[in-house]
Amino acid sequence: MSAALLTRLQEEYGAVHAALPESVTAAKRRREAIETLCAQGLPATREENWRYTNLRVLERARFSPVEDPAGTLPVLPEPLEGFARYVFLDGQLRSSAAAPRGVTVCSLRSQGAAGAGWEFGAQLPEARLALLNEAFATDAIAIEVPADAEPCGIELVFVAATAAQQGASYPRVRLALQSGARLSVVERHIGLADSASLVNSAVRVELAANAHLTHYRLQHCGARAVWFDTLAAQLAAEAHYELLAVSTGALTARSSVHARLAGAGAQFTLSAAALGEGAQSQDMYALSEHLAVRTRTAETFRGIASGRSRVAFNGKIAVRQSARGTDSRQSLRGLLDGPEAEIDLRPQLEIYTDEVRCSHGATAGKLDENMLFYLLSRGLAPEVAEHLLKWAFLEDVIARIGLADLRRQIERGLAGQLSEAATLQELL
Amino acid sequence: MLTIKNLHAAVDGKEILKGLDLQVPEGEVHAVMGPNGSGKSTLAHVLAGRPGYSITAGTVLFKGRDLLALSPEERAREGVFLGFQYPVEIPGVNNVYLLKAAVNAARKHRGLPEVDAFEFLTLVREKMRLMRMDESMLSRGVNEGFSGGEKKRNEILQMLVLEPALALLDETDSGLDIDALKVVANGVNTLRAPNRSMVLVTHYQRLLEHIVPDRVHVLVKGRIVRSGDRTLAHELERRGYDWLLGEAA
Ligand SMILES: Nc1ncnc2c1ncn2[C@@H]1O[C@H](COP(=O)(O)OP(=O)(O)OP(=O)(O)O)[C@@H](O)[C@H]1O
Ligand SMILES: [Mg+2]
Repeated sequence: MSAALLTRLQEEYGAVHAALPESVTAAKRRREAIETLCAQGLPATREENWRYTNLRVLERARFSPVEDPAGTLPVLPEPLEGFARYVFLDGQLRSSAAAPRGVTVCSLRSQGAAGAGWEFGAQLPEARLALLNEAFATDAIAIEVPADAEPCGIELVFVAATAAQQGASYPRVRLALQSGARLSVVERHIGLADSASLVNSAVRVELAANAHLTHYRLQHCGARAVWFDTLAAQLAAEAHYELLAVSTGALTARSSVHARLAGAGAQFTLSAAALGEGAQSQDMYALSEHLAVRTRTAETFRGIASGRSRVAFNGKIAVRQSARGTDSRQSLRGLLDGPEAEIDLRPQLEIYTDEVRCSHGATAGKLDENMLFYLLSRGLAPEVAEHLLKWAFLEDVIARIGLADLRRQIERGLAGQLSEAATLQELL
Repeated sequence: MLTIKNLHAAVDGKEILKGLDLQVPEGEVHAVMGPNGSGKSTLAHVLAGRPGYSITAGTVLFKGRDLLALSPEERAREGVFLGFQYPVEIPGVNNVYLLKAAVNAARKHRGLPEVDAFEFLTLVREKMRLMRMDESMLSRGVNEGFSGGEKKRNEILQMLVLEPALALLDETDSGLDIDALKVVANGVNTLRAPNRSMVLVTHYQRLLEHIVPDRVHVLVKGRIVRSGDRTLAHELERRGYDWLLGEAA
């Protein structure tokens, strides 16, 4: 990443910073973010953890945010029953619902007092893009669930409409659950079909003791979009963070996740599926850091790469000295569809204590020829047989989507993506 | 129904079928027996169109048409059914989805509309009872976690639902207990019809007590070296294959 890019970053920041809302992130904090970022440098492909991300797109994009999102909203997915929906256009809140009882949902741009913003939290080694978000964010949504509130649902829909040459969008979210609270969040990232947008989101999750968050993240941005994302979660004792991520959209998608299991018995479940086709690159980095006793991580990743696409999952589990009795499982699998497709699965374990149970497996391969022939021998068309097998491959992740309506939406979306013909859908 | 002439097939450069001749007229059930490694499964796979085999000589006519010119799925839709010696487990692909997809693929091929969902399930349930299979197997992944015997029964279930013109059953009897053997044989027998032919690959005379074949063939080293009526199976049971090995040279 060249010095020229950093210079441009600083220039752009200099030109727009005065107009950026103080209530979203304080000016001082923004400046610090830019300074830190310039000192650290933007991520570069030569770095181990960024090898599979296409970062060159930044050279052609504008860092400055879209200031007055104009455009009209595309057709949104069917609303989910029991979920309060909030829609954002190019990072700014467009429409909102009544918040579930007891829950505070606040758009800092319109409702936030000065200084209401939060720091992303810089412990994550891969948080540089979150600093970029911190510097340029034009809106932020803070969701707080009080202790022992009734379980409830919130849906956040981020629509990217503007092209990257005109400006980027910076979704910014904070999900804070007090002790014993339960919340389901559906976070969608979509875009206009042909818009080459740059999205750079930063999400912060804080779970107090015994809180339980189920977080569905669906990335279906347009085929020319660039989607960067940083998520940091902090879990107190016995908290459970269940993250289900399905990434199918964007030309380049990169998500960096950092879960800190700070309280005894905290639990992190990550189930992720990524689909790459054409020239797409789908890259996910997940760091699960065990800091306390009896903490658990269960990670499942299923990725399919077709065409010339690249799908990467780098899952690191770090068990600190203080984390005796940790249990971590990783099951990473990749499916290569085509001679030019690429899959990179990296399970990493870093253990600094005894008394831990860690199991991990990573396999990447092609469609099983025996399975394929079995289906053909029953008269199924090769395309249908392949799609069925791909479908079956993703099932380990999809089956975990407990929300039936949402699962159906995802299944329909995937069926469309996996098959040009509607045959598969008819089957289901 | 099926006419094979001078069939030569090789896999990975190794010739397995070396001039095989076989004729199965319409309505007949033929047994193919032979020592391990003689090429029985290879024959079944070649007929079903499995990729990876190179056919270096010979012809195969199925209902008067060149079978080898068809893709595996076309053969299936035209009515060729292979019951696998080792049925494949496909976790995540539901058994009943596959059955329905298979039925609809064949119907579409014949210009028929898709099968009615209710009628289809009724039919499948009936056939499952015949095969003494638990209905819960329908919602499981294809052969996923099935025992050896359950897999074989599932193959026959598929055959019963698909009603093929030509069934190639590759060691459907192996791995079955005595009761299951009767269930499977019974399933096969219900499908015997004047317009349907079957080829049973087996090692055991026992199956042929339940499914009485019209002809028995002995395959040794890639060729049919002897054919006869059902008594040939008895003779093989008694004498083994040694006396026939010379004839394959
Ligand atoms: N990919 C391959 N490469 C080389 N040889 C092969 C390959 N596949 C099969 N063969 C060989 O072809 C021969 C015939 O195999 P086939 O499975 O047809 O035998 P079979 O008659 O069905 O035996 P069995 O009674 O044990 O089922 C065997 O010697 C086998 O090792
Ligand atoms: Mg065999």
